[in-house]
Amino acid sequence: MRYADFGPHDIVLLLNGLGVSLTLFLTTSLVGVVLGALLAVVRYYRVLVARELVTFVTEMLKNSPVLVQLFLVFFGIPALFKIDVTPFEAAFFTLALNTAAFVYVIVVSAVESIDREQIEAGRVFGLTRWQVLRHVIAPQAVAFATGPLTALLVNQLQVTSLISVIGVVDLTKVGDILNMRTLKPFIVWTVVGVLYYLAAKIIALAGGFVERRLTAHSAWKGL
Amino acid sequence: MRAGRSIALTTARDAVETEIGFTRTVAGLNLIVSDLAPHIALLAQGALLTVEVCVLALAGAVVVGAAIAMMRASGSRLLRGIATVYVDIFRNIPFLVQLFFFYYGLPELGIYVDAFATGVLALSIAGGAFASDVIRSGILAIDPGIVEAAQVYGLSRRTTFLKIVMPIALRLSVRPLGSVLINLILTSSILSTITLNELTGSAKIVASQTFRPFEVYAVLLLAYASLTYLLSIAIARFHRRLNRGVLEAV
Repeated sequence: MRYADFGPHDIVLLLNGLGVSLTLFLTTSLVGVVLGALLAVVRYYRVLVARELVTFVTEMLKNSPVLVQLFLVFFGIPALFKIDVTPFEAAFFTLALNTAAFVYVIVVSAVESIDREQIEAGRVFGLTRWQVLRHVIAPQAVAFATGPLTALLVNQLQVTSLISVIGVVDLTKVGDILNMRTLKPFIVWTVVGVLYYLAAKIIALAGGFVERRLTAHSAWKGL
Repeated sequence: MRAGRSIALTTARDAVETEIGFTRTVAGLNLIVSDLAPHIALLAQGALLTVEVCVLALAGAVVVGAAIAMMRASGSRLLRGIATVYVDIFRNIPFLVQLFFFYYGLPELGIYVDAFATGVLALSIAGGAFASDVIRSGILAIDPGIVEAAQVYGLSRRTTFLKIVMPIALRLSVRPLGSVLINLILTSSILSTITLNELTGSAKIVASQTFRPFEVYAVLLLAYASLTYLLSIAIARFHRRLNRGVLEAV
């Protein structure tokens, strides 16, 4: 029983796990947001076939379990191409692509929320396509997309817990290890749950703050 | 091929794989089919289990969701608070953590249930948090005139709620509840981590038996995607059918 109790070391272990979870979350979110936005811009420029291809891939990613995607990348791709993939690499690749698929949809609808007349007016004023994108579409689309994007990121943080299944020692895996050692499931999973909850709340708060700043121009200021 | 041959000398496993790789290019898709064919029964069993879990969990989620939605729409501050906290907690903690909490925690309380029951319970509770939002907005979308008319007719609050408000709210919620169901189907794959061999769990077994994880998981991914796609079309039709009269208003 001596080694089965909780010790101060376990706090370090939990924080380590939280660090891994947050690192993966932040990096994959960043890559996912950039990639998703790029894919949406490709759609705007109407490249041949690219649009159909992107739609197909994003629909596949959105409509299948992330766990299966993780298995495909972690077990499937190494077997097919005979390459070594570490759990961390597989997790990074899968989560980034998965986030990109959802970001793509959000950005596309954000771009579509902008009146066609604005784009046409910009073109008539002699702005190039890039200038229209940069100065007319982007500022409004970003303000429009912040809300859904925050909801997505809160969700993606929770999705990172799945990477524990392929062996990444993230917060959930640390919880699993502590659970097996101490045999106190209530305490362990409550603590893990609280940590995830707090992280999710911080993301939601930050997203709300950014959204308020970006939409301040149209906020109700009273009479 | 030359690189493949040198690897083949080192390990037996790679030799088998190289050979498979070669025949694969020859036989193509046929081989995937013939290789997976003996395992179709197992996969079908898994799919059936997924359907069972999801149907039960959907029923559970609607019941929990309706109860929570009622609490959130009620006049009591305490009930509203409890409902809000419930939704907040179960939407902001990963499902995997919730699942482990129940799977390892329930036996501590002396409740010994199998993985199937635990899975359905956890999915119902988590799904209920999402369903409550849907049902609540269904309730809020109801024309106040309808409720007033029911009051004028002298119907009790209970009857008004159960016979007037809920049927309309649920009818209006068919499509969004469908998205909850699709989410449940995707989430149910996580139940494979607590030894429940539903579709993903049985695919894991097949992948380890055939040594062909890529094909198995690619097929699985396609299966999930096409299943949820077809389901979303069916739900949209069902929603339109049920709401023929009110569709313009919504």
